[in-house]
Amino acid sequence: MSNQDQQPPWGRRNKPQTPEEFVAQLIKKLQEFFSDVKKPSPEGPQNGNSTGSPGNPFANASRILTVLMVLIVLQGVYLSFFKISPGEVGVILRLGQYFRTTTSGLHFKIPYVDTLYKVDTENIRKEEFGFRTRMPGQPTFDRAGYETESLMLTADKNVINVAWIVQYKVNEPYSFLFEVQNVQQAVRDASESVTRRIVGNMDFDYVLSYRELLAAEVRKELQALLDKLKAGVGIVTVQFQDINPPDTVKPAFNEVNEADQDMKRLVNEAQETYNRVIPKASGDAKKIIQESYGYAAARVNEAKGETERFTDILKEYKNAPDVTRKRMYLETMQEVLPNVQSVYVIDKDQQSPLPLLNITGAKDLSAPPTK
Amino acid sequence: MKHIVRLILIGLVLLTIIVVYDGFYILEEGKQVVVTQFGAPVGTPVTKAGIHFKLPFVQVTNTFEKKILIWDGEPNQIPTNDKTYIFLDVTARWRITDALKFMQAVKNETKAQSMLDDIIGGTVRDLVNKNDLIEIIRSSDWSPEEMSPTTDNIGTKPKQGRDKIAISVLEQAAKITPQYGITLIDVMIKRVNYIDSVQLTVYNRMISERKRIAAEKRSLGEGQKAEILGKVDRELKQIISEANREATAIRGKADAEATRIYGQAYTQDPEFYAFQKTLESYKSAVGKNTSLVLSSDSDLYQYMKSISGKQQ
Repeated sequence: MSNQDQQPPWGRRNKPQTPEEFVAQLIKKLQEFFSDVKKPSPEGPQNGNSTGSPGNPFANASRILTVLMVLIVLQGVYLSFFKISPGEVGVILRLGQYFRTTTSGLHFKIPYVDTLYKVDTENIRKEEFGFRTRMPGQPTFDRAGYETESLMLTADKNVINVAWIVQYKVNEPYSFLFEVQNVQQAVRDASESVTRRIVGNMDFDYVLSYRELLAAEVRKELQALLDKLKAGVGIVTVQFQDINPPDTVKPAFNEVNEADQDMKRLVNEAQETYNRVIPKASGDAKKIIQESYGYAAARVNEAKGETERFTDILKEYKNAPDVTRKRMYLETMQEVLPNVQSVYVIDKDQQSPLPLLNITGAKDLSAPPTK
Repeated sequence: MKHIVRLILIGLVLLTIIVVYDGFYILEEGKQVVVTQFGAPVGTPVTKAGIHFKLPFVQVTNTFEKKILIWDGEPNQIPTNDKTYIFLDVTARWRITDALKFMQAVKNETKAQSMLDDIIGGTVRDLVNKNDLIEIIRSSDWSPEEMSPTTDNIGTKPKQGRDKIAISVLEQAAKITPQYGITLIDVMIKRVNYIDSVQLTVYNRMISERKRIAAEKRSLGEGQKAEILGKVDRELKQIISEANREATAIRGKADAEATRIYGQAYTQDPEFYAFQKTLESYKSAVGKNTSLVLSSDSDLYQYMKSISGKQQ
């Protein structure tokens, strides 16, 4: 506030208070400037042309030139400054020749002499092979129609369908701008060539099972190739999305997978039988052995028991052999005979041949021959 | 008069401006220029970026690319030495190294591209004709390690390989291009594919190959199953028979032991044993349906005849 009070006298009248006032004053001045044309110009009387006609053409021309000059200067000032966003790099050419590279921020250049090229060095550029993402950020993509890109030959002369991406970044802005005409195309060409070359060294099943190895090799070789061209880009990643047999062949591949499952299933089934039968058999075997031990114990004990009994009886028998023999004999007979169907007693003296016996039906016989 | 002087002055200023404007030219990075005077080239081509001078109006600049340019051929249907038809897509990188020759011989990039079509296309065709398919698929650094064990016929290392063929194409084509002011930087075989009809037979072969592998796997599974089942049978028999053998041995030992015990006891009085055992055996041997015929002088019946029991 105190500054305004201390304004020097010469600036007081026209001093603009705000940008709006400044613009308004400028417009007013311009209007005055052009309306001067209609006033008698200071040069007019010199030529004797004071009639107020459209006026001196030179006067007009000089005014227009002045305006143009002002505009050009304004544009020059405007062009002198430039802003580099974070993640970008500015390459400045002075009179066409490389001058310097600037990082992000506000910078100055000489207008009409320096040319600025902005290069995004942080943005990861992506190239897709064998498919195209339909909408960025969404997982939907098209695979149909890109077979020429994705079909390649393997070392065993088979055809394989490969889709992959290459991500890269600009790391040498100067090379990126001025060494190769179409870096994107160069990356695409090199990537396809390298991938096919490496796939061509592997056979079908190898490609299917070692995709990381493939990606690593492609990345290495691709970077070397692009460095050789001085394309000014660095490969961030090479990623294989889908590695598949061609559609026509796919069912056959699924069949192999099924066969593989079948194989495992069959083996499992057999293993199951094994596990069900063998442990049980081991148990059975133990049972058989235990049973035999049981038999052995029984047999020996039986023998011991019997012989003990025999020995005891024998001892007593020896005290009275005759009587005991008789007793034993008779006791046995007493026990045995009642069970017998029929007993025939034959006289010892009967010398005649043995009379005929009806062994089965003794009771029906009218005259049993023995009696 | 002042008026006229002023006009002349202005004219002169304008002329100077134009002369300065047309007398200097800015050559940007990545470009090169051939200066011509009424169509005839003047001096050597300018390749260094910066501001340069030429005669205004009289001399004209012809700007050409200094960057690496890309040539991309049309996919070509070519038979290999082993008579397989393939589509080959080749690409090359080149640059204008002699702008003057280039201007005189080729004029512009479009014409250069079609000229490269002829030169590289022809060379590729020649070399593919002379080589087997496998040479175009495999590279010189091929090794059997990158083949899976499921592949029956691994094949051999290529005599040249894809990379060497590409280098041969480059070498042969690079002999021709310098006369056009062009230097070839590299030639790459971008795409190799079977033509449609061949592709179909290859697919059929792949299908049959897979079917073979599938059958092999199934049969392998059956085989392994049979083997395991056989093992089950063998082990089962082995376990049970071993157990039986052991059991029989145990029983045998017990029988022997029993025999020894019996023998020891019965030898004390074999006659009494025989007597006792015989009597015992009657009990079980003489059953219900038996008929006995006994002599009247047997011990049981002797008293039936006489009280004395004496035999007469």
